[in-house]
Amino acid sequence: MNLTLLLLPSIIMFGVSFLKSDRAKYILAFSSFVILLPIVELFLLPKPYNILGNYLVADNLDTYVLFLSSIVGIGVTLSLLTLDKHVKVSPNAYRKFYRFFAIFWVGLIFSILSNHMGIYWIGLELATLSTVYMIKTNYTPAAHKEAWNYMIVGAIAVSLILFGIILMYASAKPILGESAMEFNLLLAHAKEIPSPFLFEIGFAIATIGMFVKMGFFPMNLWLANIERASFYPVAALFSGILESAVIIGFFRFSKIAMEVNYNHLFLFVFVYTILTIFIVSFLIYRAKDFMRLFSLSGIEHMALVVIFWVSGAPFAALLHFGAHAFLKPALFLATGVLESNGKYKIAGALRGYKGKKGTLFWFLISLFILAIISLPPSPMFFSELYGFGAMINRAKQGDHILSMLVAIFLLLTLLSIIFYRFVAIYQSMKYEGETQEKKVYTSELFALILFAISLMALLLPTSLTYLQSIA
Amino acid sequence: MILYCITITLLILLAPLLLSYIKVTKMLLLFKRPISLFQGYRNFSKLMHKETIISKEASAITHYAPFLVLSPLLIVLFFLPPVVQGSYYVSFVDAFTITGLISLSTFFLMLLGLDSASAFGGMGSSREAFISALVEPAMVLTIFSVSLMAGNLGVGQAGVNLSEHFPKEHMASFLFSGISFFILLIAENGRIPVDNPETHLELTMVHEAMILDLTGIYLAIIETAASIKFIIFASLFAALFMPFGFEFSIPIAFLIFIFKLFFIATMVALLEVNTAKLRLFKIPNLLGLAIVFAFLSLITFYVLGA
Amino acid sequence: MVDFLIGLFLASLIVALFTTRLYRLLLWYSMNSLMLGLLALVIGDSLDDNAMILTGVMTILIKAIGIPYILKNLSQKFHFVRQITPKIKVQYAIMLVPAILVFTFYLSEPITHMMHTHANYVAISISALFLALLLMIEHRNVAPKIIGFLSMENALFLLGITATNGMPMLVELGIFFDLLMAIVVINLLFHKEELQV
Repeated sequence: MNLTLLLLPSIIMFGVSFLKSDRAKYILAFSSFVILLPIVELFLLPKPYNILGNYLVADNLDTYVLFLSSIVGIGVTLSLLTLDKHVKVSPNAYRKFYRFFAIFWVGLIFSILSNHMGIYWIGLELATLSTVYMIKTNYTPAAHKEAWNYMIVGAIAVSLILFGIILMYASAKPILGESAMEFNLLLAHAKEIPSPFLFEIGFAIATIGMFVKMGFFPMNLWLANIERASFYPVAALFSGILESAVIIGFFRFSKIAMEVNYNHLFLFVFVYTILTIFIVSFLIYRAKDFMRLFSLSGIEHMALVVIFWVSGAPFAALLHFGAHAFLKPALFLATGVLESNGKYKIAGALRGYKGKKGTLFWFLISLFILAIISLPPSPMFFSELYGFGAMINRAKQGDHILSMLVAIFLLLTLLSIIFYRFVAIYQSMKYEGETQEKKVYTSELFALILFAISLMALLLPTSLTYLQSIA
Repeated sequence: MILYCITITLLILLAPLLLSYIKVTKMLLLFKRPISLFQGYRNFSKLMHKETIISKEASAITHYAPFLVLSPLLIVLFFLPPVVQGSYYVSFVDAFTITGLISLSTFFLMLLGLDSASAFGGMGSSREAFISALVEPAMVLTIFSVSLMAGNLGVGQAGVNLSEHFPKEHMASFLFSGISFFILLIAENGRIPVDNPETHLELTMVHEAMILDLTGIYLAIIETAASIKFIIFASLFAALFMPFGFEFSIPIAFLIFIFKLFFIATMVALLEVNTAKLRLFKIPNLLGLAIVFAFLSLITFYVLGA
Repeated sequence: MVDFLIGLFLASLIVALFTTRLYRLLLWYSMNSLMLGLLALVIGDSLDDNAMILTGVMTILIKAIGIPYILKNLSQKFHFVRQITPKIKVQYAIMLVPAILVFTFYLSEPITHMMHTHANYVAISISALFLALLLMIEHRNVAPKIIGFLSMENALFLLGITATNGMPMLVELGIFFDLLMAIVVINLLFHKEELQV
């Protein structure tokens, strides 16, 4: 198992994207499916497995995240097959999309598997820059503007992350030397870092960079606008894959920060995420189109993942993250069909499906929509239950039980606003508006079924025990 | 004491030469046939012989003001840092005094412009007030921060301290105040990005507009005042921001000092050739930059100690 | 010497903030990068660190010469707006810039006590980061925003050189690679714009 094998599908994809024949489309899709194979092999190998010295190390956490991402990648590829039936897209743009998708995968594999802050950042930057071009495949002025927007804001966010990384490196360099950039060494020596203040400032700056990239507090509508302007598979990529690369960095950095000074970390992240959820819940209440709705709900879920992770419930965080990674791309991909008759139309979006395919489609979509507001069979329900439990447990150990209860009460109130809004939207989709016929294609249905199966697999006892073992 | 007197005489004598030198350099760079280097002296002697006519509407101020423009500048000449070792110098005069004296001179210049009630005079005075209001804070801050670096608030003493123990550890803030002071040098003396001393175009002139009515001996005095103002700034710049050559023997030190003055004049000439004059309402941008740098040098010194 | 260069670095960035012409802005960016490269050379020489000398040379070649040249070419090819007036008025910028500097200097004061070498430079590079952000904020056109992004990269580099005495070679090369990738993407974005019109 080596790096070449892991990167081979992407390299093939990059090469094939320059071919001008009609068959290229299918070869590209196929090479995109093949990415799963080495990752599955990686998943089965004994951990931790050093892929490239001490730079790229596969452990339980990152293979789990990479596995999720590759499944999302397959779903996105499936829906890309019939993208041209819903929107106007030239074959040339299609090939260019795959070219940058390949670069995106390279960056992503590096950043997720890295055990080195520098390589993590390089991968993340590569992935960010390649997505800029993917937004641009949609030939509209809005997409053009948003591509620039993403370029600028993404660059700021990524630069903040690098800034934080340099400060953290500087704080640990006196004891670890050049290897102060490796996560596992930093984690092992976290207590001995000579200048914790420097580390914490670095961590805070890097975290703000990551939060901005995920669309947290000051930048709530940023991602939503971009996802609105680009094609729907790009939106699915954003919420399913790119966020996983960002969140794994947060997981790794915060693990070290927990060792350095747990209370500071907890307070900082807690205030930041509650602020985010506070704003997002009201934005969701006012949202009037699917893209914005799903993207804001994605931000809310990421905030919950972050909050669960720092309050000492990594199991809940990973479960929540897994459910988010499957549900959001599925819904984003479905918007292509839901909005096929005129955009921004929520009322009646779930009506007018004929035949077996149509029935299956609307059934799955209803399930997904009800799942993201964590109705019981959804994994989100269990993760939230477990996560809030862990928060109370954490508070019991300290003497902040009252403030924690207030915070949880506030969170639940905000979540209930979101809950109310989603139920109202579901009713509007199903029972209001006029019936217009919409067409569902097999490949999209396959993608949705793939996500549904993976979601159910997440709830199997074996996968739950696997998640427990990561934590 | 004798060195002190020689220095001051030298500065007064060099002043018209330096301005003519700038003009000559500019003309050479623009491929024009240059004027003589001694044109400044020739102008002075010509104006001394001319008949002095004063506007009918002018009050007594026009009679006094030229002398009051020149005299504060002459006083400032006595407070400048020494040029050679062993020279007598006034050590206790600080940034506020020097800036105040220069502003006093500017104030009488503005009065002079207003006095004859011509349209141009008023316009020139208002522009001059606009510029000098922006120059003063930056000037105080700059000289203040450089005196702090030198460890003495007195400008004369600061110049000596700087050349004896150059503060290597404060190089960054030293650089910032140097940039700021150079901008001020250009702005206060009406050189090109701020004012063009060579034209009489009503849209652009500032300094010339105020003295449009004057002739004869009064004009000679005002022109001398302008050249002395330039040499004050140039020698302050030379003493505070190029603090070397002080330790050599007396004639060599003098030569180095004169060389520094001509170097500054060359820099100014190069800048004048290479830039276009700013619109009047863009001048705050330039002077704002000077204020930012002056402030930056102070806070870099205080907070970082760099 | 290092102090002098770092002063020039910050000075060129501040002057860039007040510039209203694109080519001047490119010139100041190039000056900024040149100072950074010279700084890397000087520090690398004093530490006897060959990797940092290499970085310095690369910085001068790529950032001080290459990127401004490419951007100038791009601007001629795609007819950028060359008169770029900052959105923030000068009188506010005059107050804002010192405020940022004071804020960052005091913010990083606890850090400077902890660092052993080049303590002040951390403060200066953090303030350079904020000034680059301001440069991005104050312009509406795309080209100055790109310059702001690149200056931000410079600020990060300064921090890397001074706070940590140079990052691992691998990471620095990776950063250069990403920078080139960014330039390629920017180029492509402009190409598309041209096709559309």
